[in-house]
Amino acid sequence: MHLGKAWPWISTVARLGLAAVFLIAGGLKVTDLAESGRAVNAYRLMDYDTAKLVGAIQPFLEIAVGLLLLIGLAVRLSAAISALLLVVFIAGIISAWARGLQIDCGCFSKGGDLAAGRNTAYGLDIARDTGFLLLAGILLWKPRTRFSMDGLLMGER
Amino acid sequence: MSKGNRDRERSAAKRIVEQQKAAERRRAVTIWTSVAVVGVLLIAGLIGWGVLSRQESNDASTLTTPSVAVDDGTAFAVGTGPVTVDLYEDFMCPICHQFEIAADATIDQLVADKKITVRYHPVAILDRASNGTEFSTRSAGAAAAAAVGGKFSEFHKVMYDNQPEENSDGLSNAKIIELGKSVGLGDDFATAVNDKTYTAWATKVTETFSTRGYTGTPTIVVAGKQLQGTGGTIPTAAQLSEAVTAAAG
Repeated sequence: MHLGKAWPWISTVARLGLAAVFLIAGGLKVTDLAESGRAVNAYRLMDYDTAKLVGAIQPFLEIAVGLLLLIGLAVRLSAAISALLLVVFIAGIISAWARGLQIDCGCFSKGGDLAAGRNTAYGLDIARDTGFLLLAGILLWKPRTRFSMDGLLMGER
Repeated sequence: MSKGNRDRERSAAKRIVEQQKAAERRRAVTIWTSVAVVGVLLIAGLIGWGVLSRQESNDASTLTTPSVAVDDGTAFAVGTGPVTVDLYEDFMCPICHQFEIAADATIDQLVADKKITVRYHPVAILDRASNGTEFSTRSAGAAAAAAVGGKFSEFHKVMYDNQPEENSDGLSNAKIIELGKSVGLGDDFATAVNDKTYTAWATKVTETFSTRGYTGTPTIVVAGKQLQGTGGTIPTAAQLSEAVTAAAG
């Protein structure tokens, strides 16, 4: 199968999909930064003051990355940063899983400890994040997309 | 050299110059868009940091600590026994309600027997579960007002008896005031609830809870040691009694 001409379109779908992921993830958290900080704290990887700062900055970073992908500015770099963030998230979930912590990953929710008796879904969370990582991978490999600032600035049709 | 050859060479040279120009342009665009991306991310990070610091200084300036609070002003003590039992609960948390139903009589008995001092920490970690009305924070603040009015235990009980469903709007301030009045609280209580007098205080209690490394409710701590049931579940009333007996020595 010859995909040559289709790549910019495939990449465009990947770019907009990944943009939506980051905008939604950031948008859900940005309204309650204290909760976002507690979600980070639940991973028990840093002291609470650090977790609070990370929790406050993270949603804004996610929204910024989402917007950059949406308009398609420096797509390869934006995709690399997305991939880095996703790798950090996946590592965090694996470490929580390995330590037997009962937490909600907080990817699309505010996270935090789960109430007793509710099951964690670490495997699913990791699978989902890996899927997003795949989208970032497509963009790293083929960053040329349609309807992008990059294309506009490069003078492409 | 023929004219045709010269033309070909000239157009080849022109093409090379054009390609070089295009390559240069791509390079410049790549550099400047990368700079822009880094700039945008820096600004986003600074916004997050700025919003957090503003919230914190705002909380610090509006903080009213209830006069009757213990444990650095973050809890309300019930009883006078030698063993301290710390209970961190959110009024929206259904598991807290289950724990209250299961252990309430035992706790009352231990208090009456002068075996324990219960320190209630009304934390607010479930604001997300009340459709934006921040029921957890409002109810924790109301509990402070009830404590100032001398009716903490009664208010605590009536709030759990009337616990709203998670992901509902929670109880309105009017309903909270009505419940407060039903246990003998007066107009000062109503004013504190309506004026959000203890909102910043509820945040402080929650922060103290997080700083201590606790992340879920209910968190039950007996004589400084977190008590959990089998497999990380909520302890039963019997397990609580045992832990108290063990701590009393």
